[in-house]
Amino acid sequence: MINQIKTKFSDPDFKDLVVTNVVAIIAGILISGIMLLLIKINPIEAFSVATASVMSDKYTFAEILVKATPLIFTGLAFAFTYKANLFNIGAQGQFYIGTIVAVAISLSIGDVVPGFIGIIVVMALTIVAGAIYGGLIGLVKAKKGANEFLISMMSTYVAIAFMNFLLRTSLRETRGEYPQTDVIPESMRLPIIWGGTRLHLGFILAVLTAVTLWLILFKTPFGFRVRAVGNNASAAVQAGINSSKTTIITFAISGAMGALAGFLVVNGIQYMVIQGYYAEVGALGIGIAILANGNPIGVIFAALLFGGIQVIGIEMTMRAKTPTSFTYLMLGCVTLFVIISYYFRRVMKINRDKKKLVDGVSK
Amino acid sequence: MKKVIELKNISKYFAKVIANKDVSFDLHEGEVLALLGENGAGKSTIMKILYGLYHQDEGKILINGEETRIDSPKDAMKYGISMIQQHFSLVEAHTVTENIILGHVKGNIDVNECTNKIKELSDKYGFNLNPNSIIRDLSVGERQKVEILKALFQNTEILIMDEPTAVLTPQEITNLMKFIKDFVKGGNSVVFISHKLNEVMEVADNIVIMRNGELVGNVKKTETDEKKLANLMVGRELNQTPTKSISHVVENENVLDMTNVTCVDRDGIKVLNNLSLTVRKGEIFGIAGVSGNGQQELCEAISGVRELVDGKITLLNEDIGSLSVYERIKAGIGYVPSNRHRDAMISDMTIAENMFLKSSFENKWLAGKLIDKEKLNSYTNNKIRDFSIKAHGPDAKAGGLSGGNQQKVILAREVDNGSKLIVLDQPTRGLDLGAINHVHKSIVRESKNGKGILLVSTELSEIFGLCDRIGVIYQGELQGIYSPDELTPEKVGLLMAGWKEEVR
Repeated sequence: MINQIKTKFSDPDFKDLVVTNVVAIIAGILISGIMLLLIKINPIEAFSVATASVMSDKYTFAEILVKATPLIFTGLAFAFTYKANLFNIGAQGQFYIGTIVAVAISLSIGDVVPGFIGIIVVMALTIVAGAIYGGLIGLVKAKKGANEFLISMMSTYVAIAFMNFLLRTSLRETRGEYPQTDVIPESMRLPIIWGGTRLHLGFILAVLTAVTLWLILFKTPFGFRVRAVGNNASAAVQAGINSSKTTIITFAISGAMGALAGFLVVNGIQYMVIQGYYAEVGALGIGIAILANGNPIGVIFAALLFGGIQVIGIEMTMRAKTPTSFTYLMLGCVTLFVIISYYFRRVMKINRDKKKLVDGVSK
Repeated sequence: MKKVIELKNISKYFAKVIANKDVSFDLHEGEVLALLGENGAGKSTIMKILYGLYHQDEGKILINGEETRIDSPKDAMKYGISMIQQHFSLVEAHTVTENIILGHVKGNIDVNECTNKIKELSDKYGFNLNPNSIIRDLSVGERQKVEILKALFQNTEILIMDEPTAVLTPQEITNLMKFIKDFVKGGNSVVFISHKLNEVMEVADNIVIMRNGELVGNVKKTETDEKKLANLMVGRELNQTPTKSISHVVENENVLDMTNVTCVDRDGIKVLNNLSLTVRKGEIFGIAGVSGNGQQELCEAISGVRELVDGKITLLNEDIGSLSVYERIKAGIGYVPSNRHRDAMISDMTIAENMFLKSSFENKWLAGKLIDKEKLNSYTNNKIRDFSIKAHGPDAKAGGLSGGNQQKVILAREVDNGSKLIVLDQPTRGLDLGAINHVHKSIVRESKNGKGILLVSTELSEIFGLCDRIGVIYQGELQGIYSPDELTPEKVGLLMAGWKEEVR
């Protein structure tokens, strides 16, 4: 095991990945800590109080995993296309599509169908809806050469508008007071897997999905084609791989991931849809996926980090009186530094390649 | 004549390739300097350095005798240097005037004055262009004139043109040549980047020849001719003949049959024109020619990447003209493209994964739904041994191998994919002697196995040493098909330069 890690680190790419990310995370937390000084709060004290609380209380500790669950899925939504050199920044919209479908189906079949089957049906339909919504982006990209960046981003606004419309019309709660849905029946809720906490089956599902996607990407011919198109589309086409088809399917899978995040929030945590909730889940997914360099297994750990920061942020607000916005400040700083580290890794790699070449020439 | 630009020992390295190595030459006042070389010889790179798009890693640039650092095209324009890229940078929805003044005027713009100035410039060189036309309504030739006017509007004294004739009709080419001659008469200079010998001979005063990123010749037009240039350009020494094949048997059955094949590029220009050839079982058919004359397009028409506009291609008497790339691979066509980094391998993947590249739809290396890594690795290990690929194992990144070893990986794969026909485009370019020898041996061995081989090469020694029949290609057409005894190096040189025998 130790030897394996050693050989991994002898690969300069992997070493850069670990070092730059650790530096980015520390830098992000440090910079946000400095902000606390400006409002006369001792950052070291605030951090230690919050950390102690997370360590001593199982409910709070489990919250890290709870928060990480949808983030793993939105992270995967970005990561999977990222491996094909495509950019799906529409996970937020796919998430909302997932929540709408999950809540609508749960509410309508919840009292008729037994819970276990009902949940499976809801999950399947969420996957289908997300795959169609994401696949559309791939379709216009592959067939019309549209910029997937723009299309996926705009698709989020369409999803938000669609959600707002439904929350004021057919999906509005029976009381008719707020733009939110009714609560789904108890039979449609995912089982809690750790008593006394909110941790639900969805976390296991998220980890399994990440592992499955990793298997697909690195062990199956289809995943091979996804990576081949991403790494060198020209060579892939010359090798008889249909890059349009690959693009569409890749986006469909990504869309399904985004929608699954919505399903888990509705059936696992919130049991309802509230207008505009989880507004940052898509953006955080991008940071998580980049932090993990698009590796689905890495996404699990990155999502746990982000979940951890969120929970610590909440604890700091409660116990050290930091402003609520501080959580987002920390997340924002870490995300920003992680994304900047991507640039540094690239420069380091190019310089290394170039040095190798120049050394080879002068020999 | 006064030296306006001196390039001294310029080298440029990209992450994976040497683009220029120790290149030095001068540009004089009032001269047309042709930069001649095959695709990928480093002609554009050296000019992009002068234009400030790249910065050299070694060497220096002198302008009017003074060492100068050029960091951006804006800097370059300050010194009166403009470059017209191969692909134009025009805003299609804007007018000629708007495109020309874009980024070069500030504050309150007097459009009428600009329009008049452009009209004057246009008339001066007989361009006959309406400054108020919208770009999208203009032909390719007219768009080029807009690019030229853009440069003239900046009071350019040194105009660099990258393959300016590639997209033009013959009539437009004549006009362009006339413009270039007029332009230098006023004491200006032009750098004319091209791989077309006849144009270079027509327009240039001095000719700099580049090959593989290095300068291989700097001659006056009056002291050379097309044949000498062709020799310099493709690096021709016929002395070192490769292993003359231990006689292999050519059967009378056609593996590949191409009839009147015509293809066009994205601008609609014919890149293959009415081309017909056959490759028989066990035959090595050579395509000789200066690169950029349709060789790659020919190979792509066979592999299926390029659509046919007209004509027919059959493999063992079965029409494959409408089959997809994958179906053609399955039918037994192997293809080693000339640009291996772009078209044949994935640098960031391992050797084993590259071996798998064309087989991802087959069950060959699957265990259930997953890739059988052990089986693939043992296959790859065998290939590494058989082709003496220098790598530490199947998991080595393909991008980390030397050029020769990368080519062996691709060859090892394509020999197996091409059970009927193997198409090789410049298979030995950039390789060392040992690797070249290995490639040649593999080609001969496969032809002995009864496969048809189509070998495209600019190395005449290779063509003469290995091939049973030779076709000479020029501007997308075959100049004729010969047996090696019918040809002398002089005759091939002439055919490659566009000369055609009247009757055959």
